[in-house]
Amino acid sequence: MSKLEKIKYKPVSVREVLTEMKNLSELMIDLAYSAALFNSLALAEEVLELEKRVDTLTYLLNMDAMLAVRRAEDAEDLVGISMVAAAADKISDAAADIAALVLRGIGVHPIVREAFEGMEEGLTRVEVRPASILVGKKLGELELAARIGVDIIAIRRGERFIINPSQDEVMVENDALIARGASIGVKKLERLADGTLEEF
Amino acid sequence: MSPMEKTVKKIADKLAFLKDTSELMIDLAYSSLLLNSRELAEEVHMLEEQVDELHTEFEFLVLSSGFKPEESKEFLGLIRLGVVTEKIADAAAEIAGVVLRGLEPHPVLRLVIEGAEETVTQARVSEKSFLVGKTLRDAKIPEETGMWVLTLRRGKKWLRLRPETVIEAGDILIASGYAEGVKDLKRLASDSPLKRTRLAL
Repeated sequence: MSKLEKIKYKPVSVREVLTEMKNLSELMIDLAYSAALFNSLALAEEVLELEKRVDTLTYLLNMDAMLAVRRAEDAEDLVGISMVAAAADKISDAAADIAALVLRGIGVHPIVREAFEGMEEGLTRVEVRPASILVGKKLGELELAARIGVDIIAIRRGERFIINPSQDEVMVENDALIARGASIGVKKLERLADGTLEEF
Repeated sequence: MSPMEKTVKKIADKLAFLKDTSELMIDLAYSSLLLNSRELAEEVHMLEEQVDELHTEFEFLVLSSGFKPEESKEFLGLIRLGVVTEKIADAAAEIAGVVLRGLEPHPVLRLVIEGAEETVTQARVSEKSFLVGKTLRDAKIPEETGMWVLTLRRGKKWLRLRPETVIEAGDILIASGYAEGVKDLKRLASDSPLKRTRLAL
């Protein structure tokens, strides 16, 4: 059994913690489905790590909310926040369930990949070829989300993953990009990465 | 396609629909909090009931598909993914439940939703907007703005969207996406044309 992080109270910003929980839980769903579709054990491991982080955040947030309550009205005011935090935690648990599936070698039927590819919004895994215009570019200067509706959720570089890469991350040859977006945008990204599309 | 292939295709399509709906529900649930909208929250609860039903149908379909023993792993994978979509739908319903129980959403919740990487927003379509009279398919909103239109409000009704839904002036679009797209969506819905900078790469 994996060891659980010891929890100690520390003052946190409810806003920051809940924002991180919301971001992580939604990112984790995409990462987990990606791990299943592309059968990546390493990515599944990353999802389980993130799940531990969300668990810790849930504790910290609840402790903070408990301290803030003095009267019944405070409780009514804050209970919505802990319900939303609980929901984000549940979403991250669901993502971890998918990851566990991958790690147990249960996998998904190949037809699932096909069905998911046919959806309007989808996930993809593309390799950055040496000829691609993406090589040497910062994620931030490409503005992929604004211009083609695609977000890079992870980059596999050699043996390691960069989860939710920052705007300053520079892409290099042979990076494997895991991305989510509208199907037209996803196709554009695939062509940008393999070098067949030079501007967009 | 063999009958078995057909069944498996049907199963996978149902699963894709469940996945899609469960994720739409999360966005709608956060929207209901952001706008403190009972109607949107009720929509989420209705979808949750539909997901429950669909999920049961999906499980029946998987279990009665006549898979071979050596295929049981892959089919267990299908069942488990179905359970995940159901769990996500439940979580969305819990978020919407905060609104339905008449709790005024705490201001922090609004800040969190607006400040998150993936956010939800609303935009009113002005008379002079490029979107007026266009179908959702032709409007190409995701390609132009990176935002997905989840639903739209026309008068008092929330519409279920299809690619052929025609956008009218006065419609309120509810959309989700990366924060960068919010400005573009608002601009597209207003009367000023979208100016896009095309960088030479």
